Amino acid sequence: MATVETRSPIGAAPRAAAAASAASAAAAKPSPVQRRGLKLAGLVSILAGLALWELISRLLVANALFLAAPTQIVAAIYKLAVSGELGHHIAVSAAEFALGYVVACLLGIVLGFAMASSELAKKMLAPWISGLYATPTIALAPLFILWLGIGIWSKVLVVIFLVLFPVTINTEAGLRTTSMRLIEMLRSFGASPRQIFFKLSLPSATPFILAGLKLGIGRGLIGVVVAELFGSRAGLGRLISQSADAFNMPELFAGVVILAVAGIVMTAGFTWLERVLVPWTRD
Amino acid sequence: MAPKLSLNRLAKRFGDLDVLADINVAIGRGEFIALVGPSGCGKTTLLRIVAGLEPASAGEVLLDGRAVRRPGSDRGFVFQSDNLLPWRTVFSNAIIGPELGGRTGPAEKRRTGDLLRLVGLEGFENYFPRQLSGGMRQRVNLARALAVDPEILLMDEPFSALDAQTREIMQTELMRIWEEGRKTVLFVTHQIDEAVFLSDRVLVLARRPGRVREDVAVALPRPRALAVKRTSEFVAYVDRIWRLIEDDVRASVIEEHA
Repeated sequence: MATVETRSPIGAAPRAAAAASAASAAAAKPSPVQRRGLKLAGLVSILAGLALWELISRLLVANALFLAAPTQIVAAIYKLAVSGELGHHIAVSAAEFALGYVVACLLGIVLGFAMASSELAKKMLAPWISGLYATPTIALAPLFILWLGIGIWSKVLVVIFLVLFPVTINTEAGLRTTSMRLIEMLRSFGASPRQIFFKLSLPSATPFILAGLKLGIGRGLIGVVVAELFGSRAGLGRLISQSADAFNMPELFAGVVILAVAGIVMTAGFTWLERVLVPWTRD
Repeated sequence: MAPKLSLNRLAKRFGDLDVLADINVAIGRGEFIALVGPSGCGKTTLLRIVAGLEPASAGEVLLDGRAVRRPGSDRGFVFQSDNLLPWRTVFSNAIIGPELGGRTGPAEKRRTGDLLRLVGLEGFENYFPRQLSGGMRQRVNLARALAVDPEILLMDEPFSALDAQTREIMQTELMRIWEEGRKTVLFVTHQIDEAVFLSDRVLVLARRPGRVREDVAVALPRPRALAVKRTSEFVAYVDRIWRLIEDDVRASVIEEHA
């Protein structure tokens, strides 16, 4: 099924990606036994990697100032968790991320809608959106801290700046790439522009919007951590920087691991959401 | 009897290009009309003007004496590609016409269900388009057009994307469905044998500008079985229509390859 897309959004172009994976799946469809073997291969790879890491850090590097072994990291996480310190850092970072992410997503979707529905809005906003998207706005974090202090609001602003643009661009692209053939079909039944928007443009833009939101997760997490590194009282970035200052590698890695898990879990959540909300993009 | 549909001095220009010129056709109630012609003869444009998807440059389209200028539920359009909404089930795709008109009561639901049964999709109501074959999707496309209970069915090469065997099956299916309601049909096709098999009259179009070269009445008895395609009368019709458009087709083929 060929879908004409005049403009592709950033991030995972869901249809193209789905088509590619469908093609490769058709080329070599693994049997159930093979599939179980493949699933096992992933697990084996992770365990082997962790074992290698453990060996290198214990035997080769053998210096807790430079590298922490996985078992040491787990121990550090446990210790930080029991003391309540970890919970506090996580709570602060999570609040910064959640506030910035939600505001950026809502604003991004609204701006994307505006740009898709009004040529004037698009002409006025597009240079700013694409310019700021290309700019490493994370570099503005010190400025935001200067303006808003070292509390959570400077971090929220950094997250907004990092998440807003991919969401806006994807929303706009999704709404604009509505299939002309399908618009024509609805028109032939006498659909109004409003009906075309709600019954066609919006659902067909949903995969693109979700891809934008997914892209925002990684960028938002980077924003939280880096902004906290520039100056903060608490948060996972703060934990990482103070551990680095004290050459406490296990705690530094503890912060990194928590962030990695958060990113993986949220991305997986979105993948699940895509499967539920937009199942038609899978094949 | 007054014609159901009449096209009076219909013309269409795209810039400097005369796509259609001086089309005059009268179509009776319940007639099955095929439009054939080489690529670029404007047959799809003609259908789109009747559908109200495209304005005419001159002339008028009269449906029961009323001029039509925009799409309406008195006409049902069956598209070349099925144009189903991938997030809707078969049933909710089929009922979209009444839904857009704000009518989704029990009567419309029953009617849509009946139509899906008529096109052979009973039991597939809750399937999604991606779970269906090309032929089944075209059946939904047809049921969707019929769901608005149109007075005229406009079909734009609906079987052209199907493989040869599926196409033959769909032709007989269309005949069976048409015999049930005897709607007025305007059917655009490239396939001359398809046109002869289905229609009461074949309008043979010429190109540059698109105009009606000949109006061939097909006097084969109905209902027609697929075996009619092997009779000498059938072959004679196909042969005659082919000779009418052969030069035009050659010209358009050469042009496309130049």
